[in-house]
Amino acid sequence: MQQFNVHKIGPEIKIAGVDLSFTNSSLFMVISASVILLFLFLGTREKKIVPDKIQLIAEMFYTFVAKMISDTAGSKAKPYFPFIFSLFMFVLFCNMVGMLPYSFTVTSHIIVTLIMALFIFIAVTIIGFVKHGFKYLNIFVPSGVPVVLLPLITVIEIISYLSRPVSLSVRLFANMMAGHTMLKVFGGFVISLGLLGGWLPLGFSVALTGLEILVAFLQAYVFAILTCIYLNDALNLHH
Amino acid sequence: MKRYFGFILALLAIQNDLFAAEAGMPQLDPKYWASQAFWLILVFTILYISIAKFYLPKIKNNLDNRENKIKDDLDDANKFKELSESKLKEYEKILEDAKKEIIKIHIDSKNILNKDIQTKKEAVEKDIEKEIVKAQKEIIDLKKNSVSDIQKISEDIASNIIEKISGDKLNESSIKAAVEETSKKNLGKYL
Repeated sequence: MQQFNVHKIGPEIKIAGVDLSFTNSSLFMVISASVILLFLFLGTREKKIVPDKIQLIAEMFYTFVAKMISDTAGSKAKPYFPFIFSLFMFVLFCNMVGMLPYSFTVTSHIIVTLIMALFIFIAVTIIGFVKHGFKYLNIFVPSGVPVVLLPLITVIEIISYLSRPVSLSVRLFANMMAGHTMLKVFGGFVISLGLLGGWLPLGFSVALTGLEILVAFLQAYVFAILTCIYLNDALNLHH
Repeated sequence: MKRYFGFILALLAIQNDLFAAEAGMPQLDPKYWASQAFWLILVFTILYISIAKFYLPKIKNNLDNRENKIKDDLDDANKFKELSESKLKEYEKILEDAKKEIIKIHIDSKNILNKDIQTKKEAVEKDIEKEIVKAQKEIIDLKKNSVSDIQKISEDIASNIIEKISGDKLNESSIKAAVEETSKKNLGKYL
């Protein structure tokens, strides 16, 4: 589909034989990041005791993410707050910017979400081993399981642990792509059914746009909260 | 009708054009994977650094400031409340003391006045008694004087009467003696 196409903007940049050209995907990453930074700049420009609207929204984002982290990962996760906050904001704003017509949805590409998920997965694993050493492997051996079932459970746990980056990345990517594809399909129906029958899919399109904005927020939230949960597993060994 | 038809045809042409671009999923084409990964890491790193080093401390600072301000204000309000309560107690105490003092002053002044009145009354009574004594003495004196006067008058009257009746002048001393004797007999009736 055209809206998912990646194309070069400007000259081709090749480093060590790898094509690192600036593309429309890169452009929308830069736009999303710029919007975040602009929003945060406006939100922190004035340090009012009684905040104005934009300052209030910035502070709400802050408290929202801070509460999410303390609820799921506890106080030990405080040093990772800036990362989770940046991650949440980046995914949210990429999703939201992607909702604008003729824009490009950065998070609808599996490679982007996979890199984020892999980074989280590797970082969480390293944190787990640094904090607990080889005891971290206990995460694969849940306590209170009958000995007979233990080999099976351990295998399942290992598979589920290793599939974390896949599930995390595919969830976001598939949601974004499916939503945009649905909008596209209903948009196509509006045109092909014409003036007489096009009103119904047009209504669906409008409704779906609302739904997609919800999904854009929800997926950013899910992405961030799953990161918190993985972090929690690494910081507080429960098993 | 013709215009509508043309419009729909044009739309269909655009639609066909749009559908023509759909050849599978561009996401699975590895041509720009390296580029996307590179730019993602670059942009996200810059975003992370500027958020972590610059914006989050600012927001945190501001939130802490607000919390501290609210706490301080509440503390101040509590302090002022306590202060006003203590002032109210002080005021009530002062009022109570003043009331007590009023009662005391009232009683004191009453006592002083009573005493004053008593002394004055006593002085007046003494005076009155003195006057009474004096008056009684005067009366007694008067009575005594009047007795001698009466005796004299009686003597005179008696000598006169005797002279008129008998034509003789009697010895004065014998008349005196006779009057004295009679008056001594009858004076008790009048005094």
